[in-house]
Amino acid sequence: MQEEKAIISWKVAGIALGLLLTLATFLVQPLGVSTQFVVTDAAVGHRVAPEATAKNTYLKKYGEKESWGVGYGWMLVFGMFAGGLVTSRVLRAKQPEADKGSMPKMWESVFGGSRSKRFAAAFGGGVLLLFGARLAGGCTSGHMISGISQMALSSFIFGIFTFGTAIAVAHLLYRQRG
Amino acid sequence: MQTLLIGFLIGCAFGAILYMGGATSYRRILGTLLLKDMWIIKLMATAIGVGTLGVYLLDLNGLANMSIKPAYLGGVAVGGVIFGIGWAVSGYCPGTCVVGSSEGKLDAIFTVIGGLVGALLFSMAYPALEATLIEPLNFGAVTLRDLTGVSGIYLAIPFSAMLLGLAFFVLKDRYD
Repeated sequence: MQEEKAIISWKVAGIALGLLLTLATFLVQPLGVSTQFVVTDAAVGHRVAPEATAKNTYLKKYGEKESWGVGYGWMLVFGMFAGGLVTSRVLRAKQPEADKGSMPKMWESVFGGSRSKRFAAAFGGGVLLLFGARLAGGCTSGHMISGISQMALSSFIFGIFTFGTAIAVAHLLYRQRG
Repeated sequence: MQTLLIGFLIGCAFGAILYMGGATSYRRILGTLLLKDMWIIKLMATAIGVGTLGVYLLDLNGLANMSIKPAYLGGVAVGGVIFGIGWAVSGYCPGTCVVGSSEGKLDAIFTVIGGLVGALLFSMAYPALEATLIEPLNFGAVTLRDLTGVSGIYLAIPFSAMLLGLAFFVLKDRYD
């Protein structure tokens, strides 16, 4: 089922990511993504609904009026988009067919070909992802990759609960596949 | 200004690695969560194995700008559970949905939009959550080094070796 590989192997990607984390920790600070969703919300909020945003105890910490909250962290996430954009344009021919497109074959095999169903699940999943990540204080990048590399207690706890739940939910979603 | 540029360049490399390494692939993420395809877990174990060694070698020389997240048990556990559901349902995490969007994957773009909504909902619920799940049972920003009193590098070497051993020798794919 998974005979097609990726453009680079997990070994190369894993080693490169570990070295990149080391470099980031040396130059500025470790990798993280989920905070920047709040920064983006706050930046928009300060302009669309300034009073409500200024009153919100969480949002007012992020996305200051002057800089829009654009710092190292936001530029990092912006860079991820740029890096993905360039490499996916240049290397598209090398990407396995199964990894292309907006409708994963595996999803279709169980949930059918409805695009709106897949996109609704992706949207709902996104809501839960960021709600959960902000409650826990980080996501796969900040908590799992960076946090566990620093051997932080909170990140081990996050990793256990996240993987435990995700494995259970995945089995539930694909139970009919056996 | 320089910090912004560094952030951008590190982000570019991060995005490129995630794309090229197949981390934006739905079949790989779900294959991993169904415990059949070990690609993603091997990638992560390798990254953490190398990262742990790298961070604590820097630390040994006083060069690591660490950022330890506080261990408030309730919020981290409940947040982890909510995150886990979102991960299995969308097939993305907050980083890979950004990279997936850059590839033009519409489901990834919907996950990013959902994420912006989720972060907004969290900030609205923050006062209630702070009192119940974030402030109580907070053990602070502690690491295994703080808990055991053992020098960081002596913990990092065996931990790193264990993760790399797991990735390179133990974990095996189990296809249908």
